[in-house]
Amino acid sequence: MSRQQQIAVLLQHYQDPRYQGILEDADVVMPGGSPECGGSVVIYLIGEEGRIGGLSFTGQGDIISQAATSMILEQVLDEGLSMDEVIALDYEAFVDRVGREAVGSRTRNATLGLSTLKSAVRKYQRDTLYANSSEPARKAG
Amino acid sequence: MEQDIEQKGYAHPEALVSTDWVAEHLSDTENIRIVESDEDVLLYDIGHIQNSVKIDWVEDLNDPLVRDYLDPEHFARLMGEKGIGPETTVVFYGDKNNWWATYALWVFQLFGHENVVVMDGGRVKWEQEGREMTQEVPSFPSKDYPVPTRDDAQIRAFKEDVEKHLEKHGPMVDVRSPGEYSGELLHMPDYPQEGALRGGHIPGAANVPWARAVKEDGSFKSADELKEIYEGEAGLNQGDDVIAYCRIGERSSHTWFVLKYLLGYDKVRNYDGSWTEWGNAVRAPIER
Repeated sequence: MSRQQQIAVLLQHYQDPRYQGILEDADVVMPGGSPECGGSVVIYLIGEEGRIGGLSFTGQGDIISQAATSMILEQVLDEGLSMDEVIALDYEAFVDRVGREAVGSRTRNATLGLSTLKSAVRKYQRDTLYANSSEPARKAG
Repeated sequence: MEQDIEQKGYAHPEALVSTDWVAEHLSDTENIRIVESDEDVLLYDIGHIQNSVKIDWVEDLNDPLVRDYLDPEHFARLMGEKGIGPETTVVFYGDKNNWWATYALWVFQLFGHENVVVMDGGRVKWEQEGREMTQEVPSFPSKDYPVPTRDDAQIRAFKEDVEKHLEKHGPMVDVRSPGEYSGELLHMPDYPQEGALRGGHIPGAANVPWARAVKEDGSFKSADELKEIYEGEAGLNQGDDVIAYCRIGERSSHTWFVLKYLLGYDKVRNYDGSWTEWGNAVRAPIER
């Protein structure tokens, strides 16, 4: 894809973002970025027996950060990726997918959504692990 | 009702031009170069003012290796490529209330390119007025720009300058958000390399978030309104030697522009090391 085509795809996602909105019953609400510099997003994650049951995002900021967040959520949900597969996603490969020529030096903006999504998944996994490991202790107590 | 720039009481109204003025001078490409400088790096690609060129603060104005700005040779080359000569009037505009436009202007000033102005209201005002934008990237004959001398001393403060300033209780303005100023926010989650190990502010610095200097349409507030903020609230006085800082020195370039040109403070420096340097420095004094 040429740089102009990459920009066209980004703009399409920016103007018509996928999975944008608040999930009221989210298990994890994970903020990322800064509204002051670049962009910020909030990832909403619902876990379903250890798998991703729902995802959405809200955010504000530059075209790259917002469009790339829409793109990563679309990829994860369309491909039905597991939480471990999300954690294993490679940042450089994702920048290639977004379009390296369009992203230029703003790779951090392009990976904001992915890194925040990974943080949300890790938090879900930690919380679940903690809940599971603390349950027997409560019963014993 | 919208005030003309001349009616807003600025010390140096000649540092600003209106959207009307720019619209009337679009074709004067021999004497004027319109430069768009944005935070959102793709905005220029999706539409810009006719005959404007793009200068990106990361790719064009920063040294790729050392934390510094480009050197005089590269500045001269950049000017030549953009068709800018030493006498060319450079008109800056951009997104986010001209945040990056004033940053680019500040960097130009390091190299002594004095013939610089900002389009009041920036990109958002131009768009809101329904003015024409284009995707056509102009091409201008390159110009011979003599390699300038870079003089950082007048408008740029380094950490040792701030330390000396602190010793004599010189006035400082922290232009970050209240959360950053109080130390509540250290850095962007997941990007600790762009943050600081300690939160808070330089002792004695007043907190005036940079965007308070602009109105909803992106244009600058009047001199009286600005005085109320910077002098009435933050306690600055005409004649003060002021240092402004933020996280990496870009938001504070906006405040530098306001103090220097709109309120006429002669001695204002931008500490571009800002919180990413101070908040990581061993034994640097911090207040919360």
